[in-house]
Amino acid sequence: MNQAAPAGTIYDRGYRHYEGPREGRGRRVRAITVAGVRRVLGLKRNWKTKVVPWGLLVLAFGPVLAFIGVRVLFAEAAEDFFTYAQYLRIVAGLLLLFAATAGPELLCPDRRQNVLALIFTRPVTRSDYLLAKLAALLAVVGLIAVVPLVALFVGNTLTADSAATYLREHLDDLGKILVAGTVLTVFYSVTALAAASLTDRRAGATAGDLGVFLGSSALANILFFTAQFDGKRWVTFLSLSGLPGRFVDWLFGAPFDPGTLADQAGFTGPAYLAAMAVVVAVAAALLIWRVLRLRP
Amino acid sequence: MLVAEVEGLSKRYGTVQALDGVDVAIEPGCTGLVGSNGAGKSTLIKLLLGLLVPDRGRASVLGHDVAADPLAVRARVGYLPEGACLPGDVTAADFVAFMAQLGGLPPRPARERAAEVCYQVGLDEERYRAVGGFSTGMQQRVKLAVALVHDPSFLLLDEPTDGMDPQGREDMLELIGRIRGELGIDVLVSTHLLGDVERVCDRVVMVHGGHVLAQGSIAEVAGTTEPGFGIQLGDNGPEVLAALATAGLEARPSGDDLLVQGSSDLVRDVAAERGWPLRRLVPRAPSLEETFLRLQAAQGGPVAPVAQQAPATPEAAWGVRR
Repeated sequence: MNQAAPAGTIYDRGYRHYEGPREGRGRRVRAITVAGVRRVLGLKRNWKTKVVPWGLLVLAFGPVLAFIGVRVLFAEAAEDFFTYAQYLRIVAGLLLLFAATAGPELLCPDRRQNVLALIFTRPVTRSDYLLAKLAALLAVVGLIAVVPLVALFVGNTLTADSAATYLREHLDDLGKILVAGTVLTVFYSVTALAAASLTDRRAGATAGDLGVFLGSSALANILFFTAQFDGKRWVTFLSLSGLPGRFVDWLFGAPFDPGTLADQAGFTGPAYLAAMAVVVAVAAALLIWRVLRLRP
Repeated sequence: MLVAEVEGLSKRYGTVQALDGVDVAIEPGCTGLVGSNGAGKSTLIKLLLGLLVPDRGRASVLGHDVAADPLAVRARVGYLPEGACLPGDVTAADFVAFMAQLGGLPPRPARERAAEVCYQVGLDEERYRAVGGFSTGMQQRVKLAVALVHDPSFLLLDEPTDGMDPQGREDMLELIGRIRGELGIDVLVSTHLLGDVERVCDRVVMVHGGHVLAQGSIAEVAGTTEPGFGIQLGDNGPEVLAALATAGLEARPSGDDLLVQGSSDLVRDVAAERGWPLRRLVPRAPSLEETFLRLQAAQGGPVAPVAQQAPATPEAAWGVRR
């Protein structure tokens, strides 16, 4: 005898054990990274948290898009509007601001709201946590450091008289954009996270990071131009906010501005790159030491 | 097989000995970990999770040595911490799904399971609201969902009813009962509210000053204290209490009765001597609270209260066994 087809289905909404796949360490790190990127960009959060990151993104991408538009409409007139080095200098300022706000956003609330009491009771090590947070910040800061410049390069290529010729003659610029973007991303991200690891207050960490960068630059200039002592040209390395710009100028073959500390100090790009490496190493050591000591 | 086992575990913070050579065996079922504030309950839980490193001794959870493989332990254990620990500006659904991914679930199953578990703990539509706007009771439910979402075999609940109103507390105790009864998950509930333990647990571990006072089934542990009596003698006033104390009887008021520890013959003698009517004299089994206070006093040092909050029923204060 044929049984009648069921007229409906009864769903049991009772608790069921999970029998699906379980992923490893990579999934956990990726989950924290993705959550970090969302947090930094204010995604799935209220509009107030979107103002600063999206405002800075508009400032980073806006000029590039406007420039490309102008190039499309008035190709000749806009030819020398921006050089890559000039744009990177502008971007460096935005990167400092962005990293100084995003770094604390990634680390401080977890401690202030005691979310670590939950995160570290999952199979997540402090190294996983640090790696994921760093990856999140590098991804977002890298977005500002590299993508606008790459877009500018693509725009220049497509609006040139001969795209093939432009590409052939300026291909090394693309490499320089990637190198400079990577160096600036790592520099600003690691220092911002190190500052954020020192406190659970976002505003304090942001102010501290900006204060160290801007204060060190002011101090270096005051010492160089007002004090008299042997070897004073070395104070150029005290200026944290000056290091990236000087490296970028050297990389793109642009001269230092006449009369400035960088111009008179007489050092070249590799020296500034080495100074940045030292700063990143110190900041990374501080960051690792702080995060490994975190207690839920 | 034991769910968790602790042997000779010691932990010191500076000059404070939080745990001192503790031996504990957690059997399958729902176990209450009771003690006053500072007794070492949270330290024991953190040692079981591998969040703290013991000075001496060893612990194993679900067959894994905690010191050797803490990540394997945490993969199979759910934890509800004491106090605030939720991000305020994230929705409950997003946060529970995030915590599921930290438990190893892929993103899509994590979201599905988060929705399912939120429903199970009583967060239905509320799960789409930011956690910061939740009441204490709702936040405790979110924490319970977080503890359950990766389908653990063992739940560690640290003060799960802390700060909740009476209805919220009832709901939470019912949920804990269901977790063990319907879900089949072993549970360790840390609390200083003995009424909660009597409601949902079948076993108890009592700690005080870093030492284990007693452990076993609730009936066994409560049975370590002599039974007492509920009496109504005269007006049950201060004069009666003083007379009972003079006779060597320990008495304290509870509702309409005086709860007396000692011989019923002495109660009769006091009544006859003073001419007070003895209207009621019924045997009372000792409660966990009474047992705890007696064991605590026997251990030495100050006697700290364990049940600040009113128990769910008046009888639970004395643990009337019917």
